[in-house]
Amino acid sequence: MNTESLQKLYTEMLLVRRFDELCLSLKTRDQIYSGYHPYEGQEAVAVGFCGLLNKQDILLSTHRPHGHAVAKGVPVESVLTEMMGRQTGCSGGLGGGMQYLDIEHNFYCGSIVGSNLPIATGFGMAIKQQKLDRVCMCMFGDGASNTGAFHEALNLAAIWKLPILFVCENNQYAEAMPAREFVSCERISMRARGYGLEEITVDGNDVEATRRVATDLLARIRKGEGPFLVEALTYRLRGHYVGDPEATYRTREEVDAWRAKDPLLRTRTTLLNDGVDASGLEALDQNIKAKLTALEAWALEQPFPTLEQSIDHVTIPLTQQGGCACL
Amino acid sequence: MSVITYGEAIRQAYREEMLRDKNVCLMGEDVGRWGSLYRSSKGLLEEFGPEQVKDTPISEAAIAGCAVGCAALGMRPIAEIMYIDFITIAMDVMVNHAAKWPQLSNGKLKLPIVFKTQGGAGRRNSSQHSQSLENWFVNVPGLIVVMPATPYDVKGLLKSAIRDDNPVVFIEHKALYFEKGEVPDEEYLIPLGKAEVKRAGTDVTIIATSWMVLFALKAAAQLQQEGISCEVVDPRTLWPLDKQTLVQSVKKTGLCLVVTEAPEEGGWSGEASSVIHEHCFSTLKKPVKRHCSIRTGIPYGPVLERQIVPGDESIMKAVRELVKGV
Ligand SMILES: Cc1ncc(C[n+]2csc(CCOP(=O)(O)OP(=O)(O)O)c2C)c(N)n1
Ligand SMILES: [Mg+2]
Repeated sequence: MNTESLQKLYTEMLLVRRFDELCLSLKTRDQIYSGYHPYEGQEAVAVGFCGLLNKQDILLSTHRPHGHAVAKGVPVESVLTEMMGRQTGCSGGLGGGMQYLDIEHNFYCGSIVGSNLPIATGFGMAIKQQKLDRVCMCMFGDGASNTGAFHEALNLAAIWKLPILFVCENNQYAEAMPAREFVSCERISMRARGYGLEEITVDGNDVEATRRVATDLLARIRKGEGPFLVEALTYRLRGHYVGDPEATYRTREEVDAWRAKDPLLRTRTTLLNDGVDASGLEALDQNIKAKLTALEAWALEQPFPTLEQSIDHVTIPLTQQGGCACL
Repeated sequence: MSVITYGEAIRQAYREEMLRDKNVCLMGEDVGRWGSLYRSSKGLLEEFGPEQVKDTPISEAAIAGCAVGCAALGMRPIAEIMYIDFITIAMDVMVNHAAKWPQLSNGKLKLPIVFKTQGGAGRRNSSQHSQSLENWFVNVPGLIVVMPATPYDVKGLLKSAIRDDNPVVFIEHKALYFEKGEVPDEEYLIPLGKAEVKRAGTDVTIIATSWMVLFALKAAAQLQQEGISCEVVDPRTLWPLDKQTLVQSVKKTGLCLVVTEAPEEGGWSGEASSVIHEHCFSTLKKPVKRHCSIRTGIPYGPVLERQIVPGDESIMKAVRELVKGV
């Protein structure tokens, strides 16, 4: 990858990282109420995969969605204020940190682990049947690969040859459950074989690798060769949620060893070796930080949804009016 | 007597039952290492080992299914579904199998399972983690449905549920785990299907479930000062329903308000209301009134959630309307 392209990916990862840090800080100030799952350490997956999608492509995310959303290009304003429960959020502040939709940007996420995989098959089917120039990407974790939904969705997508890229973001843990104990096979990508799909694994902390694999697979999907399942090996550097009892499932040493493999650190080193100058990278970072500081100030001013808004759109007016004599 | 939290009461119930019977086992996501989301099984993995306390993968269908299979061979599983919102994934096993096999065996097969979960709002968890879905189970023949509101009740009822030979859906409330209450130091059981009058009164009966019981009691204390005497009745078990205790109370007061966190449409609140109408028609001064959550997804954030779900203020308002017509 040429230096310019890599620097662009680096900048995107930096945005995801700084955005996550801002969320963390807002969470500690109780401006994010629940369901904030930190993303630090996994940026090369979001940027490598989700960052490659066009606006009209579908992205189905998880309970840890903000990295995916920001990388896809969902406006940071609407992601952040959704997490803060403000009207300007993509779901009007009614969804919160782990369940929201941005219809314009084709972004969907939810907090029921595994449920997005079967739903992806519907998007895939519609895209294929209606011959749309779009693809569907579905993100999920190592833990989600143990749900029945995962298996049903992969089989259906495979027999119907749907244009879907299933991306397993294996960050080694599902809450306190280590993948090494709770997943029956050594690699989650091995499960693809059971559905007649290729076994593809990528270093999820290497943004050049994730982008290369994403580019290749999306091109093949657009040619009708889908679906694919790819496992990206990465690591959740922070707790499952802020303040989780980490000591019950992993050691400090393990976390530190992965910190050394931080995707941002790695890319930065490559860039510096390629002759990019450190002050330039520093300036990039300062620029992002300044933007996010302004974003935060703006976000804190945004109004909360009203009671009326929170009971609107539950059931839209019936197509055939006049049948119901409600009291 | 000791004062303990609801969460600790659950832990004590597990412990006592696991000590008493090796066949009692708890399984679910992070019930071992983490001791459950609200630490209600903290320390049990260390004490009882992985045969009695099992961490499972994220596999709700398998958790429920495994419970049915092992119960058929004489074990007494407690299958924990972390949030009732995820029970949708376990529904097939619960509704089509756990609730049907005992009957299909002509009574030869017992399925002593506790499907244990927690529901409701109150922790700012938004619409996929705050629902009240108990009504679905009340409508399935073959399932017992329990919803305890206090530390005393949760301990005594959980022990009974574990010892019962029927599949029991045991629904805790996420806003209650840190609530404290008195619990006897010696062993006790509370029979399933037994309501309790939580506060005696003469003017109006408030039938409330789970978290709503706490608000009903608060409202009753306030209303007393306004000269309205409320009797608060907690059915504790939604099915089988202790109709007698409910009916007795309403025959005395002549007015009844049913309060649930689940929206009223198609819900147990309608069942309770109907039971009262059928049995107290001649003594009722007015039709039974229901006060339930607004029919919407529970919104995120601290403020709206409390406006959607009934609370002491809104219960007081509903009682005043019922009693005084204002
Ligand atoms: C069906 C369901 N079961 C359980 C949960 C509780 N839960 C939330 S996140 C999580 C872990 C998910 O692990 P993984 O899929 O690896 O994603 P990660 O959190 O690592 O991003 C669990 C068990 C849930 N939200 N949905
Ligand atoms: Mg994981």
